[in-house]
Amino acid sequence: MQSEKRSNSLARQILQSVMDASLVPFLAILTAVIFGGIIIKIVGGDPILSYRGLIEGSFGSTKALSETAVWATPYIFAGLAVALAFKGGLFNIGAEGQLAVGAVVSSLIGYALPEWLGYDIPAIIHLPLAILFGVLMGGVWAGIVGALKAYTGGHEVINTIMMNYIALNTTSFLLNGVMKDRSPTNVIARTPLIADSARIPPLFEGLRIHWGFIFALLVAFFIWWLLTKTTLGFQIRTVGLNPDAAKYAGINVKRIIILTMVLSGMLAGMAGTIEVTGLNYRHELGFSIGYGFDAIAIALLGKSHPLGVVLASFLFAAMRNGATRMQFLTQMPVDLISMIQAFILLFVAADAIIRYIYRIKSKGERVVLTRGWGG
Amino acid sequence: MDWRRFGFIALIIIVLFGTVIMIGQVKQPPLLIITSMLATTIAVATPLALGALSGVYCERAGVVNIGIEGMMLSSAFFGWLGAIYMFHVFGMDIGISITLGVFFAILTGALMALLHAVLSITFKVDQIIGGTVINILAVGLTGFLNRQLFFGAGSVFGGNVPNSPGVLPTIHIPLTEIFTPVCGVSNACLVNLAAINRVFDQKPIAMGAILLVFFSHYVIFNTRWGLRTRAVGEHPKAADTVGIDVIKMRYANVIIGGMFAGLAGAYFTIESVPSFEPLLTNGRGFISLAAMIFGNWTPIGAWAASLVFGASQALLINMQIFRDVIPPQWSFLQESYIVGLTPYILTMFILTGIIGKTTPPAADGVPYEK
Amino acid sequence: MKKFHFISAMLIIGSMILAACGGGAPSAEDCSSEEVFCVGLVTDVGKINDKSFNQSAWEGVLKSQEDGVADVVQFIETADAKDYAKNIAQFGDAGYDVIVTVGFGLGEATNAAAATYPNVRFIGVDQFNAETVAGVSGLNFPEDNAGFLVGALAAMMSETNKIGAVCGTDVVPPVWRFGEGYKAGAAYADAEMGTTTEVFVVYHSDVGFDKTFTDPEWGAQTAKSMMDQGADAIFGCGGLTGNGAITAAAQAGAYAIGVDTDQYLTLPEAAPRMLSSAMKLITPGVADLIAATKDGSIQDGNVFGDAGYAPFHDLDGEVPAEVKAKMEEINAGLLDGSITTDVPPVKP
Repeated sequence: MQSEKRSNSLARQILQSVMDASLVPFLAILTAVIFGGIIIKIVGGDPILSYRGLIEGSFGSTKALSETAVWATPYIFAGLAVALAFKGGLFNIGAEGQLAVGAVVSSLIGYALPEWLGYDIPAIIHLPLAILFGVLMGGVWAGIVGALKAYTGGHEVINTIMMNYIALNTTSFLLNGVMKDRSPTNVIARTPLIADSARIPPLFEGLRIHWGFIFALLVAFFIWWLLTKTTLGFQIRTVGLNPDAAKYAGINVKRIIILTMVLSGMLAGMAGTIEVTGLNYRHELGFSIGYGFDAIAIALLGKSHPLGVVLASFLFAAMRNGATRMQFLTQMPVDLISMIQAFILLFVAADAIIRYIYRIKSKGERVVLTRGWGG
Repeated sequence: MDWRRFGFIALIIIVLFGTVIMIGQVKQPPLLIITSMLATTIAVATPLALGALSGVYCERAGVVNIGIEGMMLSSAFFGWLGAIYMFHVFGMDIGISITLGVFFAILTGALMALLHAVLSITFKVDQIIGGTVINILAVGLTGFLNRQLFFGAGSVFGGNVPNSPGVLPTIHIPLTEIFTPVCGVSNACLVNLAAINRVFDQKPIAMGAILLVFFSHYVIFNTRWGLRTRAVGEHPKAADTVGIDVIKMRYANVIIGGMFAGLAGAYFTIESVPSFEPLLTNGRGFISLAAMIFGNWTPIGAWAASLVFGASQALLINMQIFRDVIPPQWSFLQESYIVGLTPYILTMFILTGIIGKTTPPAADGVPYEK
Repeated sequence: MKKFHFISAMLIIGSMILAACGGGAPSAEDCSSEEVFCVGLVTDVGKINDKSFNQSAWEGVLKSQEDGVADVVQFIETADAKDYAKNIAQFGDAGYDVIVTVGFGLGEATNAAAATYPNVRFIGVDQFNAETVAGVSGLNFPEDNAGFLVGALAAMMSETNKIGAVCGTDVVPPVWRFGEGYKAGAAYADAEMGTTTEVFVVYHSDVGFDKTFTDPEWGAQTAKSMMDQGADAIFGCGGLTGNGAITAAAQAGAYAIGVDTDQYLTLPEAAPRMLSSAMKLITPGVADLIAATKDGSIQDGNVFGDAGYAPFHDLDGEVPAEVKAKMEEINAGLLDGSITTDVPPVKP
């Protein structure tokens, strides 16, 4: 009886805290959606039909759900990358570049390793290798920035932006040169298809959703565990909250900064590597849709909490995926989605606006990332 | 003055120019190469320098601004849109429409900066997040409006993109006219004179940008306003105790910064080419941020750094022009992907502090609370 | 108090979702019926209003509607390459009769969809298939011929004997063929006329793939740089980047040469100095193929559209009669095969 009561109140507490944490993001989304609807109306569109298309296109059928999960997979990884860095007090704008180098390396391992060795490798070895090297490359790419931050004080925002450009140029160079698919029918900058042994199998026959999605959920759980249950996680959070205090507490701040960036880069690299091994089976130079910036928005919307990141990833994935159906029904341009996302981010970041509109009291918590540039 | 830094910048620019001259001299006389590269360098540096100035004003007052890119993009759009509206809908004169377009661009920059100020100063939102909001918002807003207003039968202009009234005219500096008598009858002298004159014949925003650099340098380091701005950015508490209104100073400087970003936006659609395309700023706002840091938060330094970015783009263009005459051992210079990395790597190098420490304003990025 | 607001908010969104689900049926006509002829277009990862090949192809679709061939037309813009298949399926499932896919990037997705939707005619713009795929007609253009023509024209018209071309990335084969054709054309004219023309061709490859066609500012600077070094005719080939170059050339009083369509009509800012354009007639090509689908005369496999050079318009008086005659001679030679550009289809 007693214990039942206690567990009951515990459950209620958890529910209460989840509701508290999700109230502002929820209202931010709602407000942004209403804003978006007003804008559609102003430009002469049909808001109801547009949103209907968006919902149908993202959740309306098994295929639509599968596609939403396909979109959510890289978002979860990239969102976690930014969120983890946030927890450590670092701002990783470079997810885009880390993702690209991860994808390049893992496609290289995927198509070239059997050629180099001269024989086929079993999937049980080949696939993990392809993923591992892509992930490591992402970690190295971000680790350089972390090391520069730790040892010279060079600010990670500028350095990750610069590393994005470097990644972009290097990728173009490789995909147009040594890594280009030389088959006679190909004319564009892309790698050859990776071997079957380096591919992540689909979850269900006939749908594109693949095991990488499940992997993403597991990784999200792992990051939650890492941040809340381990010493390293505690150290990362402490450095993020107050590097000076962390130093006095005997934490090796430099080491933690580098480690945080490496882990963050590995997650971003994973986003690229899973896209290659699970979905596209090659890397292709394409129009960047700005995973890097989407990831920042996702991390902020999810309050840097792994569960929040997963939920926010689903929201963004649903919007991007449902956009096809919305266009088909109403011819509303995809840019509308970017605008709604910007509003969501605006309201989440400036939660004072939301608290004012809905008369909610503030709890006085605030994200602090900016600590000047040079350090 | 930070001579070591300027020496380093000058050295890079000389190396970039020297490389092109060395390779191109078999095809073109060196003077022609220098003048052509200088013209490109100055033009490319214009929006970067203005963007960097925007950053300098904001950050000297203690507000980090990574929203320069978004401010530029939205100003480029609304300036261009304003000029078109004035010209086609209100039937105004070409010159007036264009001038008003510049005004609209500056106004847009100021409004975006106001949003940034409200977020970061009043609501004390993390300033980098505030800037990110502006960047994402600008992409969505300009892309959406560009599409809704100009494309399809139901749009304002019925699907036909109306041609913009045009671009700002080039201002001719009469060097040729003044120095022609010096040349006498020497034809080579006249040709060289014309080539040199082309460097000085710039458009109003490009010229204005250079003047604004020196003007801003004077304002920030030699006036009361500048002293107060820097005080607010370095030590807001102390500034407050001597009676400076920290909040007001920050608001003012962020909005001034936004106006500079707005002028940079106007450069794209009203001075360089008379059309707007989605994402046309192409990350130049981020490059100007790098230029600002490269130049150690000083207007002249930021301008010099912008020239480095300009010169490296001039090198890239010329390497392709002289593709046929590049000696085999220098063939890597043709790889634009590799050579294109130079400015980014240099920026990261500068940030390490090997060439003189970069020192941002002490309270940069910290919201002020009494 | 707080709870109350939360609940009211829930109610609002709940009612919105209900309203969304209960909304009226889509107003589009039923494309699955035999009588209604529907045409859908899927862009590559670019905008429908890109003033370049996506837009030209869409205008071809619109033209077929105006001509009374198509009853319903619709497009979907692709935001990410992974959506190609999904976007095509959107039309396929709705029972569209023709699906136009634009760009080489959609080639594989198009061929795969042709197997899934055997009753649909696929028109792949700029998609060259080595082997014929049932249900797919690839619309291709000899861009090198068009580039060759304007290259020869520029070389013959230049007074400084220096001409330039500002292009998008050479990674995209049609762009590369335009640029290399331009060079070859200038060389041909030199051989015929006994002149020596210096040709500057610059590709915008130092940025991301998405930026290379949408950077008018870079195009303008590059064109200016060429003119500073003496070039007096500039060919802009590569979407908006090229447009920037053309506009800058026209402003400086040099000869401007357009691409894809007759840009005298699409770039009014540059019209007074527009010498000609290297034309690749996507719009009529797409419209013709749609019409051929309706009357049943369409064939599987590659179809070659028209390429040529646009009229001289305002500058007609400046072009000497012998140049005009030579241009017609070259055009005829290219068409009957007596002149070849020797440009391979893909950058080696």
